[in-house]
Amino acid sequence: MKTCTKCGATPVIIHRKASGQMLCKDCFIESATEKVLKNIRRNKLIERGDKVAVALSGGKDSVMVLDIVNSLHERNIIDLFAITIDEGIGGYRKHGVEIAAKNAKKLGIDHRIASFKDYFGKTLDEIMHNESRQHGACTYCGVFRRWIINRVAREENATKIATGHNLDDETEAILMNYLEGNIDNLTRIGVKSEPKNDKFTIKIKPIREIPEKEVALYVIARELDVHFDECPYSRESFRGEVGRFVKELSANHPTIMYSTLKGFDKIKPAIKKEFSGKKVNMGNCIQCGEPASHELCRACLFAKSLNGEQ
Amino acid sequence: MEVKVIFGKKEENRAIPEETTIKEVLDAMDISSEAVVVKRNNEIVIEEEFLVDGDVIEVIRVIYGG
Ligand SMILES: [Zn+2]
Ligand SMILES: [Zn+2]
Repeated sequence: MKTCTKCGATPVIIHRKASGQMLCKDCFIESATEKVLKNIRRNKLIERGDKVAVALSGGKDSVMVLDIVNSLHERNIIDLFAITIDEGIGGYRKHGVEIAAKNAKKLGIDHRIASFKDYFGKTLDEIMHNESRQHGACTYCGVFRRWIINRVAREENATKIATGHNLDDETEAILMNYLEGNIDNLTRIGVKSEPKNDKFTIKIKPIREIPEKEVALYVIARELDVHFDECPYSRESFRGEVGRFVKELSANHPTIMYSTLKGFDKIKPAIKKEFSGKKVNMGNCIQCGEPASHELCRACLFAKSLNGEQ
Repeated sequence: MEVKVIFGKKEENRAIPEETTIKEVLDAMDISSEAVVVKRNNEIVIEEEFLVDGDVIEVIRVIYGG
């Protein structure tokens, strides 16, 4: 049997191919936690006195974020609560919402659940069956989810919104936008957002340097309650294709995602300087009052067209 | 020798030769080890581990599209 490179214990639960390191359960949990806390410190993602909103889906990524950020809450460094969005996806979302609620309750954290139905009158399933639909599920989901999270975070006076983007997600986003030539989107990828409007809360990505497989290993090793269900709409996306490609590459090149991320972070200031475009005049949406660069914000525009209005 | 493999809702007994690794069982089932976490007799194991007669293997799919 293999032994832990750090403490010599058995059994080993991970063999990191990039470094050759083998870790037992306790050393792996400690190593992953330390990596996340280091990312938080180094990039000043969370500071004393912050009120952090964790966008909690009940999937492995956000549950890991909640678990680790909660250690700062337990030490009274920050205030913390969780927001769960119920997109209304039959047979999938209900399970996630229940698990999210269980996790928040177990840690004694305030929990807000907000649904597409309540805010926009339609579930994602209904949107997908709507005759006026012009985009894929992930586009509606992303726009409506961002709108709700931003609104709820502001209502609750959150100073930071923590999301569960992992290393695989970030690498996918970088490559996808690069392949599509979407430089404008590239300028917005980062560990911490810099909102152009004070109605937007700063978004942070504490587990951005943790590979997806290690996120899964972490929640299983910690025996946290999560769901590993696949969103029924996820298959249709270009992102999914890029994701498969990157994972395939990683099998023979175990450091490829990390080097993609690190390389991007280095050139990002240059891309930003060169391409961060004309300063859009952010006003407020005439319908909902959220920040918008046109009369209507994107969420209201989508909601309007789904109601058959032009 | 024989091991029991649990994958999702499926459960099967597989006859395997001595000195078989978890990875070889996953390969035979056409499962990418990058997309799963494996437990042996309820403890997480790495794919290089050799199996023993009577082992119960639980394969948990943790990544889709992988
Ligand atoms: Zn150890
Ligand atoms: Zn609006």
